[in-house]
This record gives sequence, C-alpha cells and structure tokens, in this order.
Amino acid sequence: MKINYLIAGALVVAGLTRCSDDNDKVAPFDTDLNAQILSDFSTGVASATYTELQTKAALLNTQVATLKASKTDANLAAIQQTWKEARTIWEQTEAHLFGPVATESIDPRIDTWPVNFIDLDAQLNSNNVFTETYIDDLDDALKGFHPIEYLIFGQDGTKKAVDITDRQMQYLEGLALNLTKLTTELGNNWSAAGASTNYIAAVSKAGEGSTEYPTQLAAFKELVNAMAGICDEVANGKLAEPYEAKNPSLEESPFASNSITDFTNNIKGVQNVYLGKYKTDGKGLEDLVRAHNLSLDADIKAKLDAAISSLGKITDPFGKAITTQAVQIQNAMDAINALKTILEEDLLKFVGEHAK
Amino acid sequence: MGTERTLLRIALIIALGTTVYSCIDPQEREETPADEWFAGGTQTIFDGGASAFSSEFPNLNANRAKVHRIGDGAFGSTFVSAPAPINPGLGPIFNNVSCTSCHVGDGRGKPPLNGEQNSSLLIRLSVTGTTAHGGPMPAPGFGNQLQPRSIFGVAAEASFKISYTEVDGTFADGTSYSLQNPIYTLENPYLPLPGDLMISPRIAPPVFGLGLLEAIDEADILMHADEDDNDGDGISGRPNYVWDELAKKKVMGRFGWKANNPTILQQSAGAYNEDMGITNFIFPNENSYGQIQFSSQAVYDVSDSLLQSVSFYIRTLAVPARRNAGDVVVLKGKQIFREAKCIGCHVPKSKTKTDVAFPEISGQTIFPYTDLLLHDMGQALADHRPDFEASGSEWRTAPLWGIGLTKVVNGHHHFLHDGRARSLMEAILWHGGEAEASREYVKKLSKADRDALIKFLESL
Repeated sequence: MKINYLIAGALVVAGLTRCSDDNDKVAPFDTDLNAQILSDFSTGVASATYTELQTKAALLNTQVATLKASKTDANLAAIQQTWKEARTIWEQTEAHLFGPVATESIDPRIDTWPVNFIDLDAQLNSNNVFTETYIDDLDDALKGFHPIEYLIFGQDGTKKAVDITDRQMQYLEGLALNLTKLTTELGNNWSAAGASTNYIAAVSKAGEGSTEYPTQLAAFKELVNAMAGICDEVANGKLAEPYEAKNPSLEESPFASNSITDFTNNIKGVQNVYLGKYKTDGKGLEDLVRAHNLSLDADIKAKLDAAISSLGKITDPFGKAITTQAVQIQNAMDAINALKTILEEDLLKFVGEHAK
Repeated sequence: MGTERTLLRIALIIALGTTVYSCIDPQEREETPADEWFAGGTQTIFDGGASAFSSEFPNLNANRAKVHRIGDGAFGSTFVSAPAPINPGLGPIFNNVSCTSCHVGDGRGKPPLNGEQNSSLLIRLSVTGTTAHGGPMPAPGFGNQLQPRSIFGVAAEASFKISYTEVDGTFADGTSYSLQNPIYTLENPYLPLPGDLMISPRIAPPVFGLGLLEAIDEADILMHADEDDNDGDGISGRPNYVWDELAKKKVMGRFGWKANNPTILQQSAGAYNEDMGITNFIFPNENSYGQIQFSSQAVYDVSDSLLQSVSFYIRTLAVPARRNAGDVVVLKGKQIFREAKCIGCHVPKSKTKTDVAFPEISGQTIFPYTDLLLHDMGQALADHRPDFEASGSEWRTAPLWGIGLTKVVNGHHHFLHDGRARSLMEAILWHGGEAEASREYVKKLSKADRDALIKFLESL
C-alpha cells in the first residue's frame, strides 16, 4: 500500500514531539467528536455487523437442520439465501479487517480460497464423524464459507436438495456449527461485555488508555488504512489477479456466482466506515470531514458512488467477465483505485490534521 | 519527486531535531538523534496500526512495487492437496498452509493454547552429530522439523503439547513476579522417537525490515563480535556460520532465532519446504523424502520466479517509525536500557552497505536494536540443541524494532523464541548467561524506572 508517508509522518512526528507547554498554541481538535466517531464505529458499525453475521450463521445452522429433516428445494433455497446474506455482511466487514478478526485468525478460518477439494472429497468418502470439534481441527481450506458454498450450490450452481448426500449433509452440519462458533467468537470480541478481548474499548478508548491505540489519531489512521486496504485488495487483488491471468479458477466465490456482489459489498463496507452508519446512522469520518472540508467530503462520496456503480456494470459472472467484459473490469479497477488514492492520500492527511 | 522527498525529509529532520532538542535535558541530546524516529532509514513508514509490518518500502518504483505485490499475493496463498487448479502441493506433511497463517500481519506468532490448531510455533528436531555441512543431524524418520499435520490419509509425524510451570521471583523492591516455564511433549509419534532426540521450539518472528538487516556489511557485524570477551564486559557475541545452499559454502548466518539462515531467499525456500511441503529450486526434495509419508516427487510446487517474488516481498517490507521517541519517560527508559548494558547486544544503530543494484536498501542508517550475533542466554532459555556454530544455550539477539506494535498487529504480548514470555518485562527476566548482569540490574530498579524501561521498549 502506498501512502504519502512522509507527509503523514511529518504530522505525526510534529504532533508527538511538541513540548507540553506548547500544546495550547495548537489548533483545537474536537476530541469529543472524534471520540464519538470512534465509539459509533465500534458499536454501530463493527460490533453491529459482526453481531448480525453471528445471527445469520445461527440461522444457517437452523436451516441446515430443517433441510436435513426435509430435503426440499425450498429448504435448500432458504439456506442459499441466508448464505448470501451472511456473505453480504462479511464482505462489508472486510473494510475494517483489523483487530480480533485478524489477530485471532478468524478470517482465514471462515474465508479461505481455494477449497482443498481432494481432501474434501476424501473426507466425504471416509467414515470420519463430522462433529464441530472435528471440523474445527481441519485445515482452513476445508471449512468456512466456501466449502459451504460448494455443498449448497454445487460445482455449477445448480444443486438440488436431492443431490445432497447424507455425508455432504453431515459435513454441512459440522461446517454450519463451526461458522456459528467462529462468528460468535468474533462478535464476543467486539462486545462491550467483552470476551477475551474487548475491541470496542480498544478503539473507542483510543488516547484514553487503549493499549492498541495510544492516540485518537492512531485509531483514525487504522480506519483509513483499513478502508484503503480493502480498495487495494479488491482493485489490485480480487479483480486484477483473475483478470490479468485470465484464469477463472482464481475467482473466489465461483459456485454461487457471487464475486461481483462480494466486491460491491467490500466497497459498501468502506462507505459504512466513512459514514459511521450500518443499521443506525452515527457519527462518522464524514462528520469530521464535513466540519472542515466540504469539497473533500463530496469528492470521497463521488468516488464511493463511482466505485460501486462501476462494479454494477459488470453484468456477467466474474469468471466469464474476465474475458467478455474486460472494459468494465478495467473501469471498475480504475474507479476503485481512485477511491483508494483519495482515502490514503487526502483523507489520511486530513485526519492527521484533525485528530491527535 | 526524489528531490522533493529528500528536501522534505531534511526539513523534517531539522524540525524534529529542533523540537526534540528544545524539550530535553542537554545531556540527553547526543543520545536522541532525530533520525532515530526513522527506524528503517528512508524505508520507514508512519503506520502504528494493524498493518504496521505490512507496508512496502515507500519509494519502490512501479515495476518493483509490482514484484512486491506478486510476492505479497504468494505470501498469502493457501496451499491445497495436489492435484488442484491453483496452489497444489501442500504436504503431504506440513506445519501450516500458507506463509501468512504463521506470520499473521507479517508479525509475531504466539504459542498455541491447549488443543489450538492454528499454531505459529514449530519444533526443530535433530539427533547427536552434525551433517557434512556442519548442520544439525536430522532425526531418522522425522527430519529437521516436526510436521504435526498432514493431508488426508497420511500420517502426521507427531503432535506436541506444551505445559507450563510457574516459577516465582522477586524484584529488589519486594514486588513479586512469575515466569511460565514451558515443557514440550511429543505425543503419538508415527514411529518411536529416537532416544537422543533434541527439540527446539521456535515461534514465527516478524518478517519486516529483513532486507535492511540483510544489507548490513558483514564486517560491521563482526565489529561487535567479541568471542573471548576481550573487553571484559561479560558479553561476548559471535557470528553463526551456516550452509548457503546456493553458494555451496558456509557463510555468516543472520536470520532465524539462532542466526541459522544466511539469506532471506534461503529462509523463505526452507519455510516453503519444511513448513508447507512446498518444493522449490533451493530445496527440491519433499520434506517427507525417505519417510513413509512420501509418495512422489512433483516438479517444484512453487516456481523460481514466485519464490524470488516472495523473497523480494520480504526484503522490501518497510519498518514502522518510532512512536513517542521524544517523550521524557521514554528517554529515561532509554537511558536505563543503556545503563543496564542492554545495548551490549541490542545494538541500536546499524548502517547498511552501498548496493547499487538495490538502491532502496543502500547506505541506510537504521535502528534495529540487534547485533545479529549469537550470545549465551543461560540455561533457563537453552534448548540444548546446537544449530551449526550456535550452541544449545546460544541465541541470536532478536531485533527490537517494532516490538511495541506487537499488541496492535498481533493481539498479544508473547515474546522470546517460543513465546513463553507474557510481557516485555517477563522477556527481560528470562535473560540469563551473558545478559544475567543486565537482568539483575533491571531487578534492582524502582517500579518507576522499570515502567520507564518498558515504555521505551514500547516506543520502538
């Protein structure tokens, strides 16, 4: 990730090296607003999305039991729908991929691509009992969203309920339980009650005792870097790698043809963080920017909209679009990179000037 | 652009120097050069968050940034059982499935809790004797490293369990502390374990800044060596000399917990091979070669160019800037760090050599806080497993740069070669051997001084 480090650095260093008696002369920072933004991000965006993800995983779990009891296409369709809804939330959370989701290795355990099909088939053909504990002990490429996707959508997305074998059903049960456990762990890590870590406090108490973020500025930079980071990942990884290699097997969510939706939700996640809004509209970076620089706010919003709408113009499934819709893919990469640039240069510089 | 950057940097240093200097006691001035904020020289990034160890050098050109990016992708690639359309070749026996699953955020691993699968701790194995190249003798049937995991239908070598006993101690001021002493047990081996088996647990270390460490001139490293302790300070320090697979000769080692690897390329190639079962042009044989788990020898699982890209990626990971380096308590802690003679091994400053082929790492003044040499660390830390020239109680001085960001990047406070220390202070208290006097010095400090020392370390 390329950031205008020297400028950002100069600001940080300048901020940190001032003698204490000089502080009064510094332009005032709205620390109350900044604290509110960090608090609203923690509870209204991060915790809210993880809690909803947890709810969807639990629902998926129930629906798998229903399907097992009654193998109807309607019951399978319900699972497929819930899987897509869970993916929508998960992909949005990728715009703030820091904290427990990374440090506790939850991301690789629920969202690893590729799937290890050789071992998956061998597991299905074995007599192993797929308890949650057994699934949990498997390698990352054998659990999480994508093996579930493979089992419920099938190789070409045309799976019918009758196609699901008993062994697949057992494996699916174990996967759904494991997904529920891991998303619950994640949700707990972001709950105010706090499990092993309380990341709401880590972020919202930035500059007031947080060991992770000694200053509010550090937490703001974390947000901006994470937002820019997912733009980088979508434009230059998720889109670029299959596109440049013209290799559809590099596509991450092929069975449900869900990739473009995933990418769009990644950018919507950036929007959530910027606005401080998921289900409820709290204070966000937007509010800090609008207080000082309306044109930067307008520019960021225009680039967010452009990025999202450019993805909408890729109408073929991504694996096909890498050959049929090259122009649209290139436009989307350009639009998302433009968003990345304004975040990691202009917005990062801005927070350096307005948070400490 | 380059000129602008240089001017900006000069301006910054002057500004910084002025502000720092005007705040502090005149006696401290020499010890706080403004450029120490730039721990990685011009390859310093100002990111104190979760991605602090994951940023590319700030001045890579577009082509080199592209290679870095390809390497970044490969570093994150999950391997699966062959045959497969992408990333085939995992195992058949392995420690983990991708580089990043141990080096989370390019950072420091933590020891597994009981029953925890995602381990970033591995165990090196050997038996009595040395190889023709002077390296550790592989354990028959197990090789150089324990692979506790396997693909479907293949026997893993063994599992391991860690249990801890608490060892109590007291600071001079009466404050008590407790250290957890790990005991490693190999369980369910697929073959009986050799009677003379030696084990060495090692945690995944951070991987940023290594390109700069690789660029330090060998002569400069040797300058700090004092094998016979001629200066009588109780600190000796000597280099490890290890086998270079490409040069086909023994060269100075500088990477790994015992300086047991000579280059980033060989370290990466070895990790691919031993940790994931991914063969490559430097280590073409499967790690299971000669064992019952071995089935067939594929072409290299990772191509030469991709291996080089991963190596380049690691070489071009930037160093996070210091935080709070001008804070008075931090400066006090730094003074204590010096007085306790920690700097005898954790040498603050190094300079990289001139390298016209690699301008980004050429001629940099850096602050890694290591001499890259081996030191006897005492019996409590000893693994009793020699590794080339390193004895069973010698370890390489670990770089301290970025150590204060461990919590935000990796979510934990576990330090030392096997993550046994649960805090920076515990890590200090584990120091013995050549560092015993330093440890005793720290134990006599007041609470305020101990806190200042930790605050200094956290600013690195």
